[in-house]
Amino acid sequence: MTLVHNWHLGRTMEYPYFESRPEHQFAAVFNINRCIACQTCTMAHKSTWTYSKGQEYMWWNNVETKPYGGYPQHWDQKILQMLWDNGNNPMEWYTGAEDKDETTAPYGLYNGDTIFELAQNKGLNQVAVGYIPDDKEWRFPNIYEDTAASEKTNYETKAAAESSELPVHKRWFFYLQRICNHCTYPACLAACPRKAIYKRKEDGIVLIDQKRCRGYRKCVEQCPYKKPMYRGETRMSEKCIACYPRVEGKDPVTKGRRMEARCMAACVGKIRMNGLLTGDYKKPDPKNPLDWLVHVHKVALPLYPQFGTEPNVYYIPPRWAPRSYLRQMFGPGVDEALDKYASPSRTLMAVLALFRASQTMIARFEVEDGPKIYESEVMGKKVEVYNDTAIGFASDGTEIVRVKIEEPTWESDEKRMVTY
Amino acid sequence: MLRGLKRKSIFLGSAFVAMFFLCSGEVFSQSLEQEATVEENIPTEEGLTVKFVNTDLEGAADALAHAPSYTVNLQMQDRSFPNGGGSVSEVEVRGVHNGETIFFGINWSDATENDRAIKHEQFRDAVGLMFPIEIVKISPETPFSPRMGDRGKIVNIWHWKADWERDLRADGGYEHMEDQYPDMFTDFDFDPNPVLINKKAHEGADLMSGGYAAGSLLSQARGRSVEDLNAVGFGTLTAQEHQDVDGAGAWVDGRWEVIVYRPLSTPDANDVQFVPGKSTFFNMAVWNGEDGDRNGLKSVSIRWRPITLEAAE
Repeated sequence: MTLVHNWHLGRTMEYPYFESRPEHQFAAVFNINRCIACQTCTMAHKSTWTYSKGQEYMWWNNVETKPYGGYPQHWDQKILQMLWDNGNNPMEWYTGAEDKDETTAPYGLYNGDTIFELAQNKGLNQVAVGYIPDDKEWRFPNIYEDTAASEKTNYETKAAAESSELPVHKRWFFYLQRICNHCTYPACLAACPRKAIYKRKEDGIVLIDQKRCRGYRKCVEQCPYKKPMYRGETRMSEKCIACYPRVEGKDPVTKGRRMEARCMAACVGKIRMNGLLTGDYKKPDPKNPLDWLVHVHKVALPLYPQFGTEPNVYYIPPRWAPRSYLRQMFGPGVDEALDKYASPSRTLMAVLALFRASQTMIARFEVEDGPKIYESEVMGKKVEVYNDTAIGFASDGTEIVRVKIEEPTWESDEKRMVTY
Repeated sequence: MLRGLKRKSIFLGSAFVAMFFLCSGEVFSQSLEQEATVEENIPTEEGLTVKFVNTDLEGAADALAHAPSYTVNLQMQDRSFPNGGGSVSEVEVRGVHNGETIFFGINWSDATENDRAIKHEQFRDAVGLMFPIEIVKISPETPFSPRMGDRGKIVNIWHWKADWERDLRADGGYEHMEDQYPDMFTDFDFDPNPVLINKKAHEGADLMSGGYAAGSLLSQARGRSVEDLNAVGFGTLTAQEHQDVDGAGAWVDGRWEVIVYRPLSTPDANDVQFVPGKSTFFNMAVWNGEDGDRNGLKSVSIRWRPITLEAAE
């Protein structure tokens, strides 16, 4: 084991390999607030990569309903339980000003064990704690769809009420969109005794070499997000490949420019933005929309940072769910992120407008000022909306897309509004 | 404690830890295994004698039954991550040759027959024989790592797999998903002819078939139950381009009975070559699928054992 810096945790941690960050990192921001769970992303993935024999149960992209749903069933509860039962100071964060650092510890300092540290502390003969889900757990990818937690199960709220209002709903659920996180410290990669899993230097995509894999399922066992999956038909494991031919710009549609992954480009609700983060997390580019959302504005947060793998899919948390649940899932950055999302800045409005505006990856954005069009108050905070223009550029500097905050509408002539 | 440590000491802490690992040599353990101990480089006194018997393939099982048996004690693999195994404490091995082919008869006790690896939670039973290629002497002065070899010290591994044996009996020499899940094409399907339609869609895309497209022996019919491999240390196991080893196995009354055979000499530079009248060394490992054994989770004979071929008559 060596010591590496995990900025999600705000500290160094144990990992079997040296810290080696890619030049750019494949990443995405998912705005949970916008998701309607139409599963178009799921089907885009399925029809592209996993329609063959042995892949029937495989959903490299899935959307599950939290808190009860999960694919495989109970994946997160099981890992959290391991950390909770056996780890030191599980889920404990220090979030005082002295524990934070703008770049190396933006959420504070995690004092608990990661999945790697727990395996070591317990003296396990593997690099990370984990388990292999069985058939039953894989079988129902959308189990508990739309099932809400109510006041009966939610200890934070008081007696039953007829209606719910922000900031926290009394009956709540939300959709969690999940793909492989292409982690900076992948547990699957660390677990593979054959080094059949590698992380690409150029874009940080994590892949299983199908020539080297021997189907030991160590990656299936130790990935906490359960995204490597065993394919019985070929006797080896497969995982989300981040649509790497598209990311490389091999698809002719984007004329050689990097293209968003299938699940991202198919998103109907415009909840997803896919692109590359700057490799050096200490020097984020404030003009890169993903860097800005994650590192600068900190409105998008990692999923279960306490696992310790530094996942690279970031989420804007749902506004209505209980904060303690969200803090457990996205770390202590939740409150700041939700405050910023509830009364968005002009830049945030502009960047959100660029979500799904183009399937070419947006490497840089600019905002042109427009007039004020709306003013309101949200939970005691003033919200002003300006009709700014957000402009997205590809990595080669070409302007890809230009969108206004106020969606253009056209009203039909009264004479044409005929009812028969 | 962490709070105080965090900024001031992390750099110093890292430096100390790095120094410690450098001194103990463990810093390299992420890519290279530790050196084998002195004990591991002392081969056992007793070994296996491979009798010369004038037999052919048909008579090999009978000849092996009459050959003297040699017991190899096994223990849990505790030298490298991921470690484990240890549920099989000994394996019996016999050997004969006929001047052209060498036969090994291997049997061990295993209460469960695990001969499929299609479901997530299925692991196979297996046995491996390991030989150094081109080595005549192993001693603490002339070390040769029994941990699947070392750089420049290649081993040849013959790996019999219970699921490959079962594949041989399947249609087309390979078990498919539908062997494990017989109703997979009809469950939840209201198409009037689901088998035809779904099978077509499923099997029409070889390119999408991961291991199959990559040409892995694991993912296709290979017409044999023993894999011929090389390794230069843990984690380096690689199937040979040219497969030369054959075998057969059956699980009878709580014991695996396996025969593995190959010509004494082959034109393949990556193969161990046997010469009647000469000795070399071997090592063994057994995997118990019921216990989840695979890769480094196995029962192993730690020290090399001599193997001597009787001169041909």
